[in-house]
Amino acid sequence: MRANLAPQNELRASSWLHRHEKSRLAILLSAPLFWLIVAYLGSLFSMFISAFWSVDSFTGSLVKTFTWENFQTLITADVYRRIALRSISVALMVTIIDALLALPIALFMAKVLSPRKRQLLVVLLLLPLWASYLVKAYAWRTLFANGGVLDWLLNPFGLGTPGYGLAATTIVLCYLWLPYMILPIYAGLERLPNSLLEASSDLGAGGGRTFRSIVLPLVYPSLIAGSIFTFSLSLGDYITVKIVGGKTQLFANVIYDNVGTAGNLPFAAAAAMVPVITVLGYLFLVRRSGALENL
Amino acid sequence: MYFSRKTKLFLQALSTIVFAFLYIPLLVILVNSFNPSKTFSWPPAGFTTTWWGKAVENEGVRTALLTSVKAGLGAMLISLLLGSMVAFAVARYQFFGREAISLLVILPIALPGIITGIALNSAFRTTLEPLGISFGLATVIIGHATFCIVVVYNNVLARLKRVGKSLEEASSDLGAGSWQTFRFVTFPGIRSALAAGALLAFALSFDEIVVTTFTSGAGIQTLPQWIFDNLFRPNQAPIINVVAATLIALFALPVWLSQRLSEGAASGRI
Repeated sequence: MRANLAPQNELRASSWLHRHEKSRLAILLSAPLFWLIVAYLGSLFSMFISAFWSVDSFTGSLVKTFTWENFQTLITADVYRRIALRSISVALMVTIIDALLALPIALFMAKVLSPRKRQLLVVLLLLPLWASYLVKAYAWRTLFANGGVLDWLLNPFGLGTPGYGLAATTIVLCYLWLPYMILPIYAGLERLPNSLLEASSDLGAGGGRTFRSIVLPLVYPSLIAGSIFTFSLSLGDYITVKIVGGKTQLFANVIYDNVGTAGNLPFAAAAAMVPVITVLGYLFLVRRSGALENL
Repeated sequence: MYFSRKTKLFLQALSTIVFAFLYIPLLVILVNSFNPSKTFSWPPAGFTTTWWGKAVENEGVRTALLTSVKAGLGAMLISLLLGSMVAFAVARYQFFGREAISLLVILPIALPGIITGIALNSAFRTTLEPLGISFGLATVIIGHATFCIVVVYNNVLARLKRVGKSLEEASSDLGAGSWQTFRFVTFPGIRSALAAGALLAFALSFDEIVVTTFTSGAGIQTLPQWIFDNLFRPNQAPIINVVAATLIALFALPVWLSQRLSEGAASGRI
């Protein structure tokens, strides 16, 4: 029995730790918070600061004096406003389509299937979610190609591939982020008690009525939680549009090109504020729905 | 029960279509890796394993794969440590700002990758380069670990909340030290959640390209970067396709494993 007791010095250390709860907490939190606050939030903050700098057009070096120039260009230049609007509409479109696809499938999984089959379908959903993002976008590139699978499927109906462009980009973004919409809705529906649905049908409501009056209001926070993912992920994407978008440009491409080819980091930082502010604005709009607790 | 037969059939039909939508592109990749046509004309005219042989011999693929594995392991270890520390603090203590922690942890993955990428890129340039640390594997690992913390955190936190405190209290009442309690009571309880989080962190890192682009510098290339660089070269298409097919097959494994390990606890969470 004695061998199972802790040795003296360890006991002393652990009783010290036991008495000093604050120290235990400090040990646990110091490293992660240093990483996340100093390193990560610090980087975000310094990027925010650099958005107010500029680049000397002759030497290409950073000029660290305060200027609104980058933001003025973003707001006044027609091309940026057009690209920003296009990006936001694509992100909204993707969110709406994914919500429409996700609701019935999540309902089917949570309320129609047996628990065993339900687990299987969750795994089937997670598989494509974790399959490489790039591989999935690439897969659609081959589908959309001339003489590819879509042409083969649609040609008998007199249709063909839409080719690389905005439509293809929207479809692929819908595809990429669909599991992010289904999973929160499914989790929300699983928490919804079956007794409510039984009561509704006992009182004479049909499937459609039960869906509108019972399911939809209760699953709304999860729906919004999913939409945060689909919206934010679509807004920040520049890879998909490069792969299947042809010459189409979305807002993240503006940011990317200014870091890379143009080498104008301050302008890229200023442009990066557009999706950040849009996403924060979206979060602010939906904060009352209880979605943030459902992430 | 609650739905009419018609509604059920409608839901089932829609679900079948959506699952087909999710899987057909992946299946096409798998089939195309055996397609003898270099441009993947469809339907395939025959069957060949040439591309698989060429991909295995490809030097670029092998180097990139090794880099990706190293980055994934590094990011996994760091996020495992940091993520479980935060999860312990949130699950077992009351402190000011506890509610904000979840938001802080999820932020690196909630913000678009390009934002995290640029922010880290300029921060590394101003702080690490003067210290003599140049862009390379280390910076990639730092970047990846930042957004991998959340998967470990979510898995471990969910488990700690479910297991509860009573066993740990019983252990220390019976005279065990903090370390003994952790070693014999807490750790066995959360072991599988740690493993699930670690697997998902590795998978997340292995797949990442956006943050990688901004943190890798010119010297190294992860597998997703190799794929993207070669995507627009028609000659490389069959080899990319083989790499893609391999990745699809490989990714099934960690997801299935982590699902088994966490008994579905991670299903609703990313």
